[in-house]
Amino acid sequence: MCRFAFRRFLALPAAAALALAACNRAEPPAQSPEQAKPAPAAQPSVEPAPPKEGQPVNADARALETMLARINDYAERHKKLEDTLPKLSKESTPEQIDRNQRALQRLIQKERHGVKPGAIFTPDVQAVIKRLLEKVFAGPDGAALRGSIMDENPLTIRLAVNERYPDSVPLSTVPPQVLQGLPKLPEEMEFRFVGRYLILMDVHAHLVVDLIENALPT
Amino acid sequence: MFTRLSAAAAALVLFVIPSGSASSRPNDAAAPQAAPATLALTLPNKADSLKFAVLGDFGTGSRQQYELAAVMKRVYDAFPYELVILVGDNLYGSERPQDFKKKFEIPYKPLIDAGVKFYASLGNHDAREQRYYQLFNMDGKLYYTFKGSKQSLRFYALESTYMDPDQIVWFEKELKNSDSAWKIPYFHHPPYSSGDRHGSDARLREVLEPLFIKYNVSVVFTGHDHFYERTKPQKDIVYFVVGSGGQLRKGNVDRGSGITAGFNDTDYVFLAAEVNGDEMWFNAVSRQAQVIDSGVITRRK
Repeated sequence: MCRFAFRRFLALPAAAALALAACNRAEPPAQSPEQAKPAPAAQPSVEPAPPKEGQPVNADARALETMLARINDYAERHKKLEDTLPKLSKESTPEQIDRNQRALQRLIQKERHGVKPGAIFTPDVQAVIKRLLEKVFAGPDGAALRGSIMDENPLTIRLAVNERYPDSVPLSTVPPQVLQGLPKLPEEMEFRFVGRYLILMDVHAHLVVDLIENALPT
Repeated sequence: MFTRLSAAAAALVLFVIPSGSASSRPNDAAAPQAAPATLALTLPNKADSLKFAVLGDFGTGSRQQYELAAVMKRVYDAFPYELVILVGDNLYGSERPQDFKKKFEIPYKPLIDAGVKFYASLGNHDAREQRYYQLFNMDGKLYYTFKGSKQSLRFYALESTYMDPDQIVWFEKELKNSDSAWKIPYFHHPPYSSGDRHGSDARLREVLEPLFIKYNVSVVFTGHDHFYERTKPQKDIVYFVVGSGGQLRKGNVDRGSGITAGFNDTDYVFLAAEVNGDEMWFNAVSRQAQVIDSGVITRRK
């Protein structure tokens, strides 16, 4: 396990990418961004700025930068849509909460209609995240971490991108040791596990934004 | 820091089921309950103390939840606590407006009408939007802190399903900046629990326990495991699991865990407590209006 990546809090996504790069020195290079498939339907192509001349490029770091750029783009669009709805206050009624959540869900689903898995978690990103998780769970606490995540976690459920997170499924615990190794997300989104899926969840709209199958190591 | 029973309380405890034991009477959780027994609280009920209750894993809308809620009102009438801290799983399953009514507003209406305020933390069954719900007093935040209206006391509601670095940094900053004598964190997942089903969350403990020790936390309230448990002091800190407000996992306490000081896994339970100076008194009260565990904790200094 690359302890460097998880010993300290990685407050900045760039730090996560750098840490991962440090972990991966002895490993074969990941698929380059150029080899990645084009962005799926309904997901505009959002890519980080190309590296300046002479600047070193790490394929994993670049993949994560691409993911974060797409996440930030999603968050921007989320905010724009949310701004069209009445703002929830700290004294909201259940009716207001429910109305807003479902209205936002519909707006986002409409805007992202046709989106496919991999819009944010591109093949490159999936490979990086899986390797990152493998390192976390390969450590001495791996079994215990997995136990925390799988507590009340359904094994057989099927999820779909841009669909509502099922009301009957409790949220998985994501242990602090795992979150410390994953990139920081905007407030609207969280990483959660459902079975062995890692999902990117829009917690305001209760939507599965994207997912990675078999992300949780066995 | 230690727990003990005063002479007066010990005398009153003669009327209650001994701590850590199961009731010898038939206690089928599914069966309708007989008329509750006479309430025999062992709390000092001092005028200037900060009185509060702890409730967890309650939002089912079940008959048992309603029956315990009725006992909570009976306790309130004798021991007027001003607030209830909620250790998560506030609404199970669907969270439509009618669910808020059935699983929260109706059962606790007598308390809400009496002016008791509920301060929620979120469990793994809770949607994040609950933070906007007026009656949960979360101020729109997933984790937050507030001072008691009396005594030198501050509560910290944490979000234990997603303990990200930002929350940990925030929590330490708040602990460090507080001059309250009592710093009381509460959240869903128990760092210590004798539950066969869930048990201790060692990953969470690894992160939080050093902060509890460093900043003189004396007592921590949690839920998740569907029973009541009070641990022996763990590194001088007493942990409560109060996860049987509406769910019950009968017989789930591992009697051989070695960490249990008091428990009940045969009935639905909430906790009533009061802080006065350096002491926190507590009574765990069952759906049968029985005090099934009691004592006093003196804070760490």
